Amino acid sequence: MTTHPELETVDMMLNMGPQHPSTHGVFRMVLWIDGERIVDMEPHIGYLHRGSEKLCEGESYGQVVTLFDRLDYVSNFNNEQVFCRAVERLMDIEVPERAMYIRTILCELNRVASHLLFLGTYALDAGAMTPVLYAFRERERIQNLYEAVSGARMMHNFIRIGGIKEEVPADFVPRVRQLLGELRRGVEECDNLLTFNEVFLARTRGVGVIDSDTAVSYGLTGPCLRASGLAYDVRKDHPYEIYPNVSFTVPVGEYGDCWDRYWVRVQEAYQSLNIVEQCLDQMTEGPIMPQMRRIARPPKGEVYVHGENPRGDIGVYLVSDGTDKPYRLKVRPPSYCNLTALRHMMKDAFIADAVVILGSLDIVLGEVDR
Amino acid sequence: MTEQDKPVSEPEESAPEGAADETPQVEAPASARPARRAPPHEEEAPPEVLNSRGQTTLGLLMRIADPYVLAHGGRDDIPWIETRAQSLIEVARRCRDHRDLDLKMLHCLLVVDYTEHLQAVYVLLSPVKGTRAILKVNVPADEPKVPSLTGLWRAADWYEREMHELFGMEFEGHPNLSPLILYEGFEGYPGLKSFPFNDYNEF
Repeated sequence: MTTHPELETVDMMLNMGPQHPSTHGVFRMVLWIDGERIVDMEPHIGYLHRGSEKLCEGESYGQVVTLFDRLDYVSNFNNEQVFCRAVERLMDIEVPERAMYIRTILCELNRVASHLLFLGTYALDAGAMTPVLYAFRERERIQNLYEAVSGARMMHNFIRIGGIKEEVPADFVPRVRQLLGELRRGVEECDNLLTFNEVFLARTRGVGVIDSDTAVSYGLTGPCLRASGLAYDVRKDHPYEIYPNVSFTVPVGEYGDCWDRYWVRVQEAYQSLNIVEQCLDQMTEGPIMPQMRRIARPPKGEVYVHGENPRGDIGVYLVSDGTDKPYRLKVRPPSYCNLTALRHMMKDAFIADAVVILGSLDIVLGEVDR
Repeated sequence: MTEQDKPVSEPEESAPEGAADETPQVEAPASARPARRAPPHEEEAPPEVLNSRGQTTLGLLMRIADPYVLAHGGRDDIPWIETRAQSLIEVARRCRDHRDLDLKMLHCLLVVDYTEHLQAVYVLLSPVKGTRAILKVNVPADEPKVPSLTGLWRAADWYEREMHELFGMEFEGHPNLSPLILYEGFEGYPGLKSFPFNDYNEF
């Protein structure tokens, strides 16, 4: 075929989403492409905007927990925990030790469940059908435990200001121990299936690279930041609840590409299982709620609390005016901040890699739009 | 309400009692219904105290931003300083580039509506050193204007767009303050306290 240099070429605009299955929700992006290369892209969010922050101002503190369930709907416990910690800090409540251990066990298992969901769907994004079946089978075991503990598979509303809703079932400890054994095997199975698969490596190695300085400037946190080589983990840098009592390592990537982001998450799942095991060993009997007023009414003041979510660093800035409803509540959503770097990662990438890069960020749109 | 304010010793037993006490309130006519917001807590608020790490951070902040600081305070290891809008960029740049503070990440940006004035709150964080600090800027509600920090942090781009959309805060120097999360054609600033939102009629 002959080329005609005198012919004018224009970048083609391509719309992707919001109903595209690989966008993990309702996310739309507009890509400008030159042949196979992405010249520029623009993300469009807001399809799931419910005004959660404003809604919080009309609900009492106890009710706000239910709204936090609906932000990041695949790691509900972690969301509930960070909000309750903010209120507890403002009211100076000492959480009973047993409640903290149960919270941590549930949160860390939630991290494993979330990473398993990522592993399965990310493999789908990269063109592998099988791992999603394995990952969902393992995730189902965790969901069954949640159902036994809180009565719900997704919107638990289990962590309360000051402690937890109720005592866990009598067979909780042996059941979690058995679950740990099953999950270790299960995560390893998924890991073996996908991590060093040659096709998967070819799809993800060196794709969507972001260096640590740029990542910090964009406000990336969680696995996305650690993949770029910076070992920042709230559980280590600002330990909260019982994290000072447990030992774990923070897996760190090398190049900041899609494979590193994937690998960091898989390693984190193993670490979370270790944390759960240590919690089971250290946990003692005791109360699960402190002596406190039934209606939380924090004194005037403001507080900023953040914690490690499976997706990154979730923060809550809470302003109280002394009533039983928050005056202003701002959520710092990790997915939202991670998504801002998408444009940087996608520049000059192949159009076929767009889905792989987006998937590696592991966004949850409920949290991005709020 | 007084029943509920008592410390609860046995939640399982007292829960039905509390529920029984609440029923007459629900049935009261709409005109006699108490104000939507419960009265403030009578207890004295505990003073906000900084720990030793927070004191060190505050000392560093005061040293680099001394002429610009209007007020300061903090809780735990997160100190806050208040500056004027015109000196915000300078203070933020010094925070970011200081070797010991190393506040390289703009962690969170929010606007609080205090009806007579708006407050922009910038939470800064160092992923390497672990220091945290908060910058606050008060601006009048009728002319909410602060300089944009997009030149310092790329993360400021979306944060500022969102806050502009929800609170009408003007970020001077922002390259593109187009709507981000609300639907096209939405009018008003839903984040503001004056926006009618919680006063809908239930049916």
